[in-house]
Amino acid sequence: MKPSPGTRNSSSTAKAQYYFCGIDIGGTFTDCVVRDNHGRLTIAKALSTPHDSSEGFFNALTAAAEKMGITLTDLLSKTRHLMHGTTLGTNALLERKGAKTGLITTRGHADAIIMMRSVGRSAGLPIHRLHHVSRHQKPDPIVPRSLICEVSERMDWSGEVVLPLNEEETRQAVRHLVDSGVGAIGICFLWGFVNPAHELAVKRIVQQMAPDMYVTCGHELVAKPGEYERIAAVAINCFIGPLMSRYLHKIEEKARDFGYRRPLVIMQASGGVAGAEDVADRPLFTIGSGPAGGLTACGFLAKQLGHRNVLASDVGGTSFDVGLIHEGQPLSTSQSTINQYTFSVPHLDIESIGSGGGSLIWVDERSGTLKVGPESAGSNPGPVCYGHGGQRPTVTDANLVLGYYDPNYFLGGKLTLDKPAAHAALERVGRELGMTAIEAAAGAIRIVEFQMAELMRQMSVQRGLDPREFVVYSYGGAAGAHAATYARELGVTTVVVPLGSTASTWSALGVQAADLIHVYEKAELMIAPFNAARINEIFSALEKKGRAQLRKDGIASKDIFLERHVEMKFKLQIHLVEVPVREGKLTARHLAALQNDFVEKYERTHGRGSAFTGAGTEIGLFRVVARGRMERPAVSEYQRQHTAKAVQSRSVYWPQKNGFRNTPIYDASSLKAGHVVRGPAIIQMPETTLVVPPFAHGGFDKFGNIVLRLTD
Amino acid sequence: MAVQTKTKPGAPKSAAPPAIQWDGRTYPYCPPARLNIDPSLRLHSKAAKQLDPVTFEVVRHAMWNVNVEHGNTIMKISGSPICAYGHDFNPCLLDEKGDFVFFGPFLQYLSSPIGSAVKWTMENRSANPGIHDGDIFLTNDPWIGSTHQSDVALFAPVFWKDELFCWVGNSLHQWDLGGTSPGGFNPQAVDVYWESGCIPPIKIVEKGVLRRDLEEEYLRRSRVPQLVALDLRAEMAGCNVARERIRGLLARYGAETVKASMRKLQDDSEKVFVERLRTIPDGTWSEIGWIEMANPQDRHIYRNCVVLTKNGDKLIFSNEGTDPQSGTLNCTTVGWKGAIASMICAQMLFDQMFVVEGAYRHMEFDPTPSTLTCATFPAAVSAAPALTLLQTIALAGIAISKMLACSSDPALRSEVQSCMGAPMYPVAAFSGLDQRGTPFASFLLDPVGAALAGLSWRDGVDTGGWPWDLQSTMPNVEEHELFYPILYLWRRELADSGGAGKFRGGNSAELAFIPHKTDRISFFTATGHCAVPPPSLFGGYPSSTTRYTMRRGAHARDLMATTGKLPDHTNALRGHSEYLAPKSFNVPQEKDDAFMLSWAGAGGYGDPLERDPASVRHDILSGVCTHDWATRVYCIVLDADNNLNAEATAALRADHRRQRCANAPSSPRRTIDAQNARQVQEGLLLAATARGKVLACSKCHTEICAASDNYKLHCASLDLPVTDANPHVLDPHNYIDDEVLFRLYSCPACGLLIQTEILRPGDEPLADLHIEERRAR
Repeated sequence: MKPSPGTRNSSSTAKAQYYFCGIDIGGTFTDCVVRDNHGRLTIAKALSTPHDSSEGFFNALTAAAEKMGITLTDLLSKTRHLMHGTTLGTNALLERKGAKTGLITTRGHADAIIMMRSVGRSAGLPIHRLHHVSRHQKPDPIVPRSLICEVSERMDWSGEVVLPLNEEETRQAVRHLVDSGVGAIGICFLWGFVNPAHELAVKRIVQQMAPDMYVTCGHELVAKPGEYERIAAVAINCFIGPLMSRYLHKIEEKARDFGYRRPLVIMQASGGVAGAEDVADRPLFTIGSGPAGGLTACGFLAKQLGHRNVLASDVGGTSFDVGLIHEGQPLSTSQSTINQYTFSVPHLDIESIGSGGGSLIWVDERSGTLKVGPESAGSNPGPVCYGHGGQRPTVTDANLVLGYYDPNYFLGGKLTLDKPAAHAALERVGRELGMTAIEAAAGAIRIVEFQMAELMRQMSVQRGLDPREFVVYSYGGAAGAHAATYARELGVTTVVVPLGSTASTWSALGVQAADLIHVYEKAELMIAPFNAARINEIFSALEKKGRAQLRKDGIASKDIFLERHVEMKFKLQIHLVEVPVREGKLTARHLAALQNDFVEKYERTHGRGSAFTGAGTEIGLFRVVARGRMERPAVSEYQRQHTAKAVQSRSVYWPQKNGFRNTPIYDASSLKAGHVVRGPAIIQMPETTLVVPPFAHGGFDKFGNIVLRLTD
Repeated sequence: MAVQTKTKPGAPKSAAPPAIQWDGRTYPYCPPARLNIDPSLRLHSKAAKQLDPVTFEVVRHAMWNVNVEHGNTIMKISGSPICAYGHDFNPCLLDEKGDFVFFGPFLQYLSSPIGSAVKWTMENRSANPGIHDGDIFLTNDPWIGSTHQSDVALFAPVFWKDELFCWVGNSLHQWDLGGTSPGGFNPQAVDVYWESGCIPPIKIVEKGVLRRDLEEEYLRRSRVPQLVALDLRAEMAGCNVARERIRGLLARYGAETVKASMRKLQDDSEKVFVERLRTIPDGTWSEIGWIEMANPQDRHIYRNCVVLTKNGDKLIFSNEGTDPQSGTLNCTTVGWKGAIASMICAQMLFDQMFVVEGAYRHMEFDPTPSTLTCATFPAAVSAAPALTLLQTIALAGIAISKMLACSSDPALRSEVQSCMGAPMYPVAAFSGLDQRGTPFASFLLDPVGAALAGLSWRDGVDTGGWPWDLQSTMPNVEEHELFYPILYLWRRELADSGGAGKFRGGNSAELAFIPHKTDRISFFTATGHCAVPPPSLFGGYPSSTTRYTMRRGAHARDLMATTGKLPDHTNALRGHSEYLAPKSFNVPQEKDDAFMLSWAGAGGYGDPLERDPASVRHDILSGVCTHDWATRVYCIVLDADNNLNAEATAALRADHRRQRCANAPSSPRRTIDAQNARQVQEGLLLAATARGKVLACSKCHTEICAASDNYKLHCASLDLPVTDANPHVLDPHNYIDDEVLFRLYSCPACGLLIQTEILRPGDEPLADLHIEERRAR
């Protein structure tokens, strides 16, 4: 097999003993990354098969096996972990193609999910839609009123039973839902997460009356106050549950046929993986797992490169996603909004704006200004230069006419770009403003790079972090064109385009780089001074659950790591701060130190002088993150197939030089590790194109990452 | 120039009119066309002549983000649930003259006060103590720069090379600033001296240093000085962050380029605003609302009017017809302008990032002093935001809608909407000992789940919040139960609470709770629209009224124990209902009582009989509308399987329309040629005929009257008890002694319901539509 520039061939003679496979299903391609026990990576792609995603799944694996010169059975029978990221659940929700779902909730409170705390009319809308009130609308309900049943029962905030569950009403409710033909039933009571007895009793009744019914209880998904966010989680979980569990079983069965013996593990939005069996019960946790894969891959690489603080940016066709790694940990948050529904689930904190290669460049006639995005040309028709019928210019078209992209070497030459058409489209837009096509293109690039930098700035500053202390990681198809400029805008001095050749399968790499993660939470309001005995009791109960689950997942004791956290706040204040808690038995002295840690972290996050120490301190939530370390050989060094220094040149636009300059073009395969390219220059790879502006220099490191240093 | 105020010719109407000084002392501050600023303060006014469209886009984006970061800084440091959930704050960026550049996406009615505060400060503080780099000013004076005393504005000049380049500022609601009642509002207040004190602008930060003397003076008045100190720091930090970021922009892009970008934002918004105005004929449109009870002993209703006149490129707002200031019902003109501007933004600047200055340049305000909406010092004003201001937002929204309905631009007509939900905030403040035995005092935030109004093309949004707060968020039941000693029996949307109509108003919600792990809770209330429902639009029906109920002897707990069921509606409880007045205090809730609250839904749009029967059926089946009310107001007939009986429905509707026409004036019927007509209301066409301009029914084209007449006088009118307006309206005599009635104005020929009105017997029908013939296009 002819090694491509993307094949890692160190220790190429050593035979692989076992493998780790990551498969990520995207809109167009299903990506597969295989790593062997020597850290060698093999990358393969297959077309996604939306009618039955499992086909694309196995096609991509087969393609990888072929690349490695082995059979699929060879590959899977020697695979330690088969790891998978899927947006099937997300898509089913967005397209409203899930199960007919029924809900059972506390009498008097069926409307929690209908009211959506009022904010459902505008939750998650971008600013231009937020401002247009007359267009605000709540989404069609996931569960209509007629399928939300109320039953008499009541707990209070402490878990005390105020009214026992009325079983007669429960049976009537289940009968009604079954007769209505629901495919899933969600059970969510007020305070059910403090005392789950009633939810469990209803679950038993459902299982008696409809043994094959898909059932989810609120306390199984979310353990904190907020009935709307909890019942929304239950409803979404039920909606996508039957579909996801069928899909996962199908893949697991087929993998078994090819000799895979261990459990299939699935990427979650938390950045960790979980067993398929577990995920079939809680598919909600996969919503948002796509971008989480990318951030997880960054975390994996950052550890290897020794970067503690990373601003990770994914520049795709339609969106620009940003996540943060601070002090070696990807930052998480606990609320998600999808389709205007907000639900509580711990997940990696990733924000997104509509700026990407496909973002449309247009003129706002009223103000006579140039605009970029948020509307996108999408994949159909796509940019003008693709020649698929697009008439409106995009960021990709601008990159082409400015000379950043080579019309004959886009996606490694798979697509020939129509430069005259892109030029003409930009000319049309520019004419409205008295600009040339080049001016319009350069202006659009300036605007879009500024938008990207502003999002990254906002995300770091809002979390009390200084972007100048970060390294920017940039991946996704359009990353290389813009990374250096938006990073410099932030005052960042180092940019990494990770593992150049894997940039386009980055999420799949993240999937197979993830640990098993289970998060256990217990909400209980405690007011300082804290009761050490009670806290020890809570943590040991949560840890017991975590340890048991990881053992069940097949993780050895030495690979089990338990992290403790509490969410703390000041009385009369709203900000919750997550504070890490030491392991072992806690004493009053530890808890006093915990309060100090809280104040320190509060002020670091919210500003000096913001701590309202006079009000008293509260703990609202206890959390244990149970992490099962997966075996993970480091990425091997990258012995590049070094050809002679093949430098071409072409005319490229540099705003810093106010025009086009003849610029050296490097083929990535011509560059050895350590070879320094000084801007202005372009480095071309099959998957992406790296723009090295005049203020930057850099090249490949020994792992195959491109590292740029930026100067003033 | 921006916000101008003129005195009406002949107003005030007393015999010997004293000269009115609009200086923020006795009468509210109204900035003059040219500010009188001490010459020692030099303003940076030079804007670059050339501004390339790319730099503009980049600077615009950056300035918006300055504002975002300003707001986030306040929320972060304050940590107050008031800003996080109540959104009772907003950051802004103003130019060197105090005109708005950007205003944040939170409470919109705060816009006018901050601009007013900045202008007053430039006029009154530029000589002494002077305005310098690093200074920050503070005010809560409702006659100068606040909606009420609890909203404290901080604003800072941004200097560039010895010149005042621009201002950054914010306003944030404070927990308590002293006065006779915790939280600052006393329903018994007879004047401002019962309330938190007014602070005209003071220089709280001098050249970067917080003045310790002034800070202590400020905090000394509060019952919770530590919280107020924290919020003061949050507001200061917001100003500092915004100022530094603006300076960064000036250093990078040049002051003249940034100034040119500010001007362009304002100019672009103005251009769009004027373009929109030009699609509308000149004319006058108006709306009235009623507020009951000026204090807990009072049993009368008072009138709040918003009158909107369009004259060329000007919009003039007046409060003509508004009752004299009274009890606790008042607001100052400073807040009133902001209330009006918030709906101008929502309905006319939705695509201009709410750059309100574009509109302000073409808005004039013409209030009559010493009225409910133009209070003269020392009237009590601390309840203004909950009462008169909110109602003014609702009324302004309707008056603007009536104007937009006459536009030739369909996009603008799609902004036409009926009355927003909860048009006065149902304050339900409660206090006592919590479940942990410590004192608590707070108020219910559930009613922020208001409702959005019926539009000219679709139904309102049930529990959709308000149009002037883009992200209204109700607290969860569990959050309330965790912090307060209460147990909710129910909280749900209230069927039929939205006004009926061709497009119905959004439904509001109702809740009930019992004391839990405490012996007694004490309430005070403040709101309106308990006795009289809010208005509605173009034949739409009004929404429900707001209702506070104390179910005495409900014994919910005993019922649970004996029946095993959770009582989930009033009739499932024992005892009797006591309706609390819209102004009441120290009302106890004992152990076995249930407290209930439901708030006014949003108004309906258009004749309910024009509603698609399939939509009515859908509403019934989805629990949005009851079958009983649907039968009465929509005349819908369903068979036993809930299938629509189209024939019976049509017959019932026809019969209903005939009843509406029973009192029709017996003038001769003529129809107009619809080709020569344009729609000016859902039910009215303006047509050119040989006899001049006339108004005609949009359904049957029957001529109703000359365009210059009040069409209501020529419609078939039918008076109904106000309890017929919505099934949730109680007999007003539960609250007031005044008589009110619900009147329908219908086409005399076909019975199309053109407009409804709530009025007292003997009141003249409101003339709410007057189009200047000569300018109508």
